[in-house]
Amino acid sequence: MALINIATHEIHCKIVYYGIGYCGKTTNLQHVFRSIHPNARGDMLSIATETERTLFFDFLPLDLGTVHGFRTRFHLYTVPGQILYERTRLAVLNGADGIVFVVDSQAEKFEENVQSISELEMNLRRIGKDLGSFPFVMQWNKRDLSTALPVHVLDRYLNRRRVPSFEAVASAGKGVFATLRCISKTVITQL
Amino acid sequence: MEQLTNLIISDRELAFISTALNKLVLDTSASSVMLIDKSGQVVTTQGSGVRRNATSLGALLAGAFSSSRHIAELLGEKDFRTIFQQGVNENIYTTLVEEQWLLVIVFDKLTHIGLVKVLSKKASDELGRVLERVKADSTRKKSSVINVEFRS
Repeated sequence: MALINIATHEIHCKIVYYGIGYCGKTTNLQHVFRSIHPNARGDMLSIATETERTLFFDFLPLDLGTVHGFRTRFHLYTVPGQILYERTRLAVLNGADGIVFVVDSQAEKFEENVQSISELEMNLRRIGKDLGSFPFVMQWNKRDLSTALPVHVLDRYLNRRRVPSFEAVASAGKGVFATLRCISKTVITQL
Repeated sequence: MEQLTNLIISDRELAFISTALNKLVLDTSASSVMLIDKSGQVVTTQGSGVRRNATSLGALLAGAFSSSRHIAELLGEKDFRTIFQQGVNENIYTTLVEEQWLLVIVFDKLTHIGLVKVLSKKASDELGRVLERVKADSTRKKSSVINVEFRS
């Protein structure tokens, strides 16, 4: 739910990075955090386990410029990817304005990706939203791995709605900003 | 339950909210009082205690609250409407305002929790009425903010 504050001329939006464990959601946020000038972002919060797996969420507030006099402030969140944390993912999705689904392109992760998208659809329905009409972008991550499935295969089976999709190697920063630009534009357009 | 797409807060309603929060700061001697949306966005803050960390606190408190509601569900409760976090020096009391906002009071050991509970209930009722007006206004005001010029 976007919060539009007329008194302070600010629009606040929430974007959630969703996907299976180790697909690169936190890596996306870390790259954004490292690349953006400290004046345009806040501190990155990570609630992680001792082994650096996301336990609750990562959070990064960003200032993405002004649209007709309104400062657009985006809050980026990731969900914990492990199956165990299904309820936590639902808690983080609360009030989201846009979703980036990060896909681990490796062949052996295909089935898990399919299950994760179905879970996302179900979770959105539980909060009264339909993924078909929701700002939604796909990211094919880990394109540098030899076990990565071809993009046309991923697109055919995982992107049934034909939403915008981006190839990425988040660990090297490739595709991270293209994805962020697209989802932030889509969110603003659909306000 | 369907979630709102936008919530548009006018200058006038923000002034009402700030007055209510400020009164709560004075009456409870809290270091800070915040109003946050349940998605984690900070509507406004009064008091001096948390100003610098308000954005992060908003995200964390909304996350903790959302998580506690799911715990309630697993226990067969409808929801938990308040959370009390107690430290050695600082305490945080969070209470739900009409299923949409969270009223957060940060106070130290010199303030009694009973006072915070009673006064936050009163403030929460008042903020609930503001929220009703904000919700009713959001659809009308949307066309004046998100207009053709904005989309171009």
